[in-house]
Amino acid sequence: MSAAAKKCIKLMSFQLGIDIGGTFTDVVLLDENSEKLFFSKILTTHGDPTDGIVTGIKQVLDENKLEGSSIRRVLHGTTLVTNAVIERKGAKTGLLTTSGFEDILEIGRELRYYIYDLNIQMPEPIVPRNLRLGVNERIDKDGHVISTLDESQLAVQVQTLVNNGVEAIAICYLFGYLNPSHEEKTAQFIRENYPQIYISTSSQIMPEIREYERTSATTMNAYVQPLTHTYLSKLESRLLDMDISGVINIMLSSGRLTTVEGAKESPIHLLESGPAGGTMAGVFVGKQTNRKDLFNFDMGGTTAKASLIHNHKPEITNQFEAGRVKRFRKGSGLPVRIPVIDMIEIGAGGGSIAKVNQLGLLTVGPESAGSEPGPACYDRGGESPTVTDADLVLGYLNENFFLGGTMTLNRQKAEGAIRKHLAEPLCLSVEEAALGVHRVVNENMANAARVHILEKGQDPRHFTMMAFGGAGPVHAFDVASRLNITQLLAPVGAGVASAIGFLVSPVAVENVRSHVGKLNSMDWEFANQFLSKMEDEGKAFLNTAGIPDENISISRRSDMRYLGQGFEINVPIPNGELSRDKTNEIQSNFSLTYSALYSRTIDDVEIESVTWRVLTTGPSPKIRLKQEFEFNSQNALKGHRKVRFAQLNTTIECPVYDRYGLQVGDAMNGPAIIEEKESTFVIGPNSQFFVDDQLNIIVDMDAS
Amino acid sequence: MNSQKFDGVTLSILWSRLLAIVDEAGTALQRTSFSTVTRESNDFAVVLMDKKGQSVAQSAISVPSFLGVIPMMTKYLLNGDFPESSWRPGDVVTTNDPQLCAGHKPDVGVVSPIFFKEKLIGFLGTISHVPDIGGVLWGAGARDAYEEGLLIPPTKLYSEGVENETLLNLIKNNVRAPMQTIGDIRAQVAANDQGRKGLIALLNEEGLEHIEDLSNQIINATEKAMRDAISKAPDGTFSYTYHADGDCNEEPVRIECAVTISGDEITVDYEGTSDAHTLGINSVLNYTYAYTAYPIKCTFSPEVPNNDGAFRPITVTAPRGSLLNATKFVPVGARNMTGNMLHAPVFGALVQAVPEQVQADCGAPCWCVVLNGYNPDRNDMEFVEYFFLNGGYGARSDRDGEGILSFPTNISNVPLEVQETSAPIRYHCKELLPDSAGIGKYRGGLGQRIIFEVVNEAGLNMSLLTEKLNNVSKGMKGGSDSIKGQLKIEPDKPVPPKGIMRLKKGDKITMEIPGGGGYGDETERDPLLIKRDLELGYITKKLIH
Repeated sequence: MSAAAKKCIKLMSFQLGIDIGGTFTDVVLLDENSEKLFFSKILTTHGDPTDGIVTGIKQVLDENKLEGSSIRRVLHGTTLVTNAVIERKGAKTGLLTTSGFEDILEIGRELRYYIYDLNIQMPEPIVPRNLRLGVNERIDKDGHVISTLDESQLAVQVQTLVNNGVEAIAICYLFGYLNPSHEEKTAQFIRENYPQIYISTSSQIMPEIREYERTSATTMNAYVQPLTHTYLSKLESRLLDMDISGVINIMLSSGRLTTVEGAKESPIHLLESGPAGGTMAGVFVGKQTNRKDLFNFDMGGTTAKASLIHNHKPEITNQFEAGRVKRFRKGSGLPVRIPVIDMIEIGAGGGSIAKVNQLGLLTVGPESAGSEPGPACYDRGGESPTVTDADLVLGYLNENFFLGGTMTLNRQKAEGAIRKHLAEPLCLSVEEAALGVHRVVNENMANAARVHILEKGQDPRHFTMMAFGGAGPVHAFDVASRLNITQLLAPVGAGVASAIGFLVSPVAVENVRSHVGKLNSMDWEFANQFLSKMEDEGKAFLNTAGIPDENISISRRSDMRYLGQGFEINVPIPNGELSRDKTNEIQSNFSLTYSALYSRTIDDVEIESVTWRVLTTGPSPKIRLKQEFEFNSQNALKGHRKVRFAQLNTTIECPVYDRYGLQVGDAMNGPAIIEEKESTFVIGPNSQFFVDDQLNIIVDMDAS
Repeated sequence: MNSQKFDGVTLSILWSRLLAIVDEAGTALQRTSFSTVTRESNDFAVVLMDKKGQSVAQSAISVPSFLGVIPMMTKYLLNGDFPESSWRPGDVVTTNDPQLCAGHKPDVGVVSPIFFKEKLIGFLGTISHVPDIGGVLWGAGARDAYEEGLLIPPTKLYSEGVENETLLNLIKNNVRAPMQTIGDIRAQVAANDQGRKGLIALLNEEGLEHIEDLSNQIINATEKAMRDAISKAPDGTFSYTYHADGDCNEEPVRIECAVTISGDEITVDYEGTSDAHTLGINSVLNYTYAYTAYPIKCTFSPEVPNNDGAFRPITVTAPRGSLLNATKFVPVGARNMTGNMLHAPVFGALVQAVPEQVQADCGAPCWCVVLNGYNPDRNDMEFVEYFFLNGGYGARSDRDGEGILSFPTNISNVPLEVQETSAPIRYHCKELLPDSAGIGKYRGGLGQRIIFEVVNEAGLNMSLLTEKLNNVSKGMKGGSDSIKGQLKIEPDKPVPPKGIMRLKKGDKITMEIPGGGGYGDETERDPLLIKRDLELGYITKKLIH
């Protein structure tokens, strides 16, 4: 390596993480030499999100007197794709199907997502009926061509779609996942004759059995492809304008990264790009503090999200829905079987509205007052009592130091709303009613978390709970105690968590193929063939991202089930050549996974494989950090105020600390309130807390 | 003993814990079951009951057919051979008696007691549709109850933790898929056990001794909410007559339904309904009750929980020995073909009282197809494949019905690629059926057409359950009716609309399931909606006057 090249590498020792959220665009800069992080936070520019990115980057570069050329790597996550699906702002899209099956996309699974609502509404299909056209062709269940592709009819159908003004075309033929030749011929025809049209084929996007789910994913990919393409090209050129020529990686829903080309090809993998960053931030803090099992808890204005990190890795699922008609109703959206971080989302946030229902029970959410008019205490015309109103009445929030003092809260309005809508109908005092709101919303979150953790076959007591989001640290203590979790952690920079998460995510790609076969009579030669082809494809992709073979690791899994069952479980499969000799190992992997999930096995029923997955991963970046604050004051104790804790029967005078005044090694007993700009950390009684060397606050709660 | 009164906060918290406990058990049951019907149609339920057998909490995912059935079964056990004092920890009782349980033998009930501090405090019960229960292939074809397979009278499956090997052995030797069927029954026992553990953990955490006060308070509040909702509707008796296919020949079906709203109570009387049918489409009173109470609950109080309280204000009567109150020896295997129509006469009567709150008839019940034979691709292994075809959803007072949607049951289709992989058939089409729904101010949802072909040399058996070949989904408030369904085979041969037949290689079967009925006068329909319907081909020009 030349001296100049060495110098260049040393100079290019900075990384940028960029997260575009609904409200804010966060930029973090990592200096790999000094191991320091720098943040900037600006309002998201919805007209052209790259404007906000440029402003944010300039800000953080200027503050550190850096040039764009010093940036080695840019890591980016965005809600662009998910918003396009929710707001139905994707491209005009056409769909080509096997003739006779044009309506599969609209028919779906024929299932109602809520059985007591006669006024149920199902999601509109992404492609309307007049833009779904059939093509004469047929492949059978073994992948054999029964009717060849009718190319002259294909030409007519494509012309019709083009005449209708489609920008993108999805192609999904029956059994196309087994034999992609007709889909590929169709794509080639379109590419040759209409090069401006974006194309997605099911054999590439989701080569898995089940035609509705496959069509849904393929169609959605086509729908968001043009806008993703435009956006990412623009991002590249604007970064170049700033002289940033380093590698750009994009965050996937799975907590892994891909290349810009990969993201343009399969943009549906970006659906949960932002939230995935949040979980990866948990992974990051876990690695920093040497905690491998974490329960990530992120509570914002309208929802709370939670996910598990096990052995420094997030849990992944491929059951996902986008664009739900009813946000919190499973089944009311469009299925997309892509790997996503397994996350629960419930309608519980600071803005969630509390009311007394027709049974006389206090309920909270999922309706939210949002930010306009917002909670009653915002004094912007909101009249319904919310979680934030209760938190204020209970003394958790400081009316003069909300969002670092940028906003004043009106305590009278909060009390008035709680009195009128909750305390009076429930015959409770205002304080008791407020505590009720706090308890109910926390129980809702704890309940959902309990089910989620149990479904994973885990015990909540083994996890440290990590609190993120504006409302996360306010509620974490009570939620943790409901789950019998005994350790809590509130990291620094929780407000830019997602952007930090990008920095530690590996570049990876998952290749998928369905091949149904019984384990005991599997055609291993055939399986080895397609598995090694999938590995090669994965490696080739990572090579294009600049990762050499020696840094690549492979892990293989199969979706398996007992013969006759309808749900598959995801089971690890050994690497290398497979044969009959490996069936015992695979069988025992299956049994272990099955019994971890369902506490039993069924020994006399055969096992079959349905879908095979090969994950090709680059190395996980190792980052060390030295956190520093600019300390605001020498005195961390700001004073005392009256606070009511769920664990105590009366209001107490509770010490209030300034987070920016707490030093490494400070240790105290709860109860305490710790105020910082983005949030307030509420620490209940019977606990000890200390500040670790990364400036995280760790709370140890007495086991009850 | 003084009863404990919970405030609205504590009750809310405890209640959501109870729901989570039964939901967890339900999810585990569904995911580990072998039965297509259980997992694709959510044809199962988990219910937590107090020690009197009153339902306290029911799993959220489950179908209406089990509304109230598990508590009825448990109360029967308590009043019969298994009184309160007879239960011991580790006992499990099972039965599939259609009269006591869910109306046909594949639905097996399993009840486990919950002991806390050595006292019986309640029960967990599950019902699940097992893969096979012996007898003739599932359908309406049995001539009497005995041809419908094995009857398990209420029997201890476990006695103080010891498995009843004799019973399991008997079941194993009488069903077609013994491992899967036993596997499903064991899954029910495991689900009950999980629910029991969850409840005990809750009692320990909250320092409660029992669930009686909690359940009474929830049940009473639910009952009051239901009564409040009913009392807002005008009093009166509202009648409706509904016609169905029966055997499509000499034995059609007539349902007479009189709904009486009186203050805060509702009585539904089916006096005048057809006698018991020769085909196995008869419904026991438990089942009739479930599918009568369901549309009433949807109409008046969709949000109140499913527990005893919601059903106390609803009474259902049907003449003994009639189609809707089947006696012990008549065949009931395909009782869903009758139960799944009852919403139509109930809504037809209720529209006279609460016109905004109901919907027009759906293209229901869903058609059921069972294919059975030997699969040459799978070493001639025997296959039994079920699939289901839903019609269109009825129009509502303020919007069109949804296309092809399951109602009143909730049963999904089986992906065509999965069907073709498991059985020797090949599809030619599955599509929305234009013009198949009633029109009106709001249009019914469209029904569907499928065509499939038999592709194996040996051919296969097909058990069919169809409906509305001679009848239609009725429109409401001036909305028009749907078209009739169609069933044909090429080359042409007679097809029993509810029965079993042999299919040969090359036979091509066409099925058209009607859409829903329309609501309101067609002249009031928004011209923009008509324009959209034409553009998207939901309707064709021929319907435009």
